[in-house]
Amino acid sequence: MKIIKSLLAGASIALVASITQAANSGNTLASVDPEADRLALQSYFQKRFPQVALSDYVNGIYALDAPSREQWQDIEEFPPYEFDIEEGEALFNKTFANGKSYADCFANGGIGIRQNFPRWDASQGKVVTLELAINQCREANGEEALGWKKGKIAQISAYMAYTSRDNVFDVQIPNDKAKAAYLDGKQSFYARRGQLNMSCANCHVAGAYIKIRADLPGPTLGHVTHFPVFRSKWGNLGTLQRRYGGCQKNVRGVPQKTQGEKFRNLEFFQTYMSNGLVVNGPGARK
Amino acid sequence: MKKTISLVAALMMVSGVVAAHSFNEAFNEQRAMYGKGHSFMWNGQTYITDHPEEVAAAVEANAANAAKLLASAKAKYAEVLAVDFGWTLTAKLLKSANKALEAGDFRKSMNISAQAEYHSRMGIAQYHQSQTEWIMAVPE
Repeated sequence: MKIIKSLLAGASIALVASITQAANSGNTLASVDPEADRLALQSYFQKRFPQVALSDYVNGIYALDAPSREQWQDIEEFPPYEFDIEEGEALFNKTFANGKSYADCFANGGIGIRQNFPRWDASQGKVVTLELAINQCREANGEEALGWKKGKIAQISAYMAYTSRDNVFDVQIPNDKAKAAYLDGKQSFYARRGQLNMSCANCHVAGAYIKIRADLPGPTLGHVTHFPVFRSKWGNLGTLQRRYGGCQKNVRGVPQKTQGEKFRNLEFFQTYMSNGLVVNGPGARK
Repeated sequence: MKKTISLVAALMMVSGVVAAHSFNEAFNEQRAMYGKGHSFMWNGQTYITDHPEEVAAAVEANAANAAKLLASAKAKYAEVLAVDFGWTLTAKLLKSANKALEAGDFRKSMNISAQAEYHSRMGIAQYHQSQTEWIMAVPE
């Protein structure tokens, strides 16, 4: 009888524990608390890497791994993205056929605003990333949309990030629709996919600074701050969503649509997690 | 103290019993150890470590059966793509199955189709799991 009682007690505890965890983490619109999520994630990394200052997470894996940081600092002496910033500036200032320019589409003439993206656009009822806003600006002025992942759009985005360096990320979640988009992004981040059955979190939360073959995955905290990045592997500049697609391919999953709802919501969630950190894009990565 | 120990032991037993008695766990363990075509006992009954797709493919290798299996695999792939959880290898497998069918290598085509359909079925299962289990990975 005692054994049966113990078994029942054990089963009850196990059941209650799992429910409590789910409730605290916020997996419904009613229970999700973005600010609590952000603080919990910060706390997780600060407990794991107590020697790393919170502000240093903008440097990704280079905040955690001293040898990699040394190599990266050498690269940053002659940044490989330097010409892209110059090209991005020229593209940004070039007027459209109708005489208008990107400056006419953005607050503050598009200067120093990277930290406010992605943002919830109430009139469109969706998350708008900086790259989406760039292409919407072009189309509104009679120009063709640019490709999403690299090239001109990455250069313009890099220039806009460069003018925003040291500005603090301040992504807002103003209403329940925005919160639903955040929740969708959160789910995407933690859900496993692909033949390798891995989630973003597998590599960039639990797996941060743990070798996957020869690579050290960076922490998700501060991930977005340095995009777009010049990756040595790419040999050119690329956007955050180009990287998302690459990650999904790495786990042998068919990548989701670049600038589709899923990726925009994922970027919304991930950027909210880095609220309080500064913009330091564009960056250089392996 | 004794109560605590017995409770801990009971908890360990609960998880052990569940793990040992889950059919999926038993199947996956046997499949991983012995591959397909192996028989094993679970809850007093005998089972084979074949996936349903492999069972479906274990019929006469001819053009009609190969075409039927390929069509079924393609339909399942469309299903997994619709929920956005496709796997990268599946499209290549479907292409190979089609090529083998056109070349008249029906057995090869049927085996590859079975593999492709299995991938899609697992992707769909992954999608359903992702709807509920993701929350357990969130740091508290």
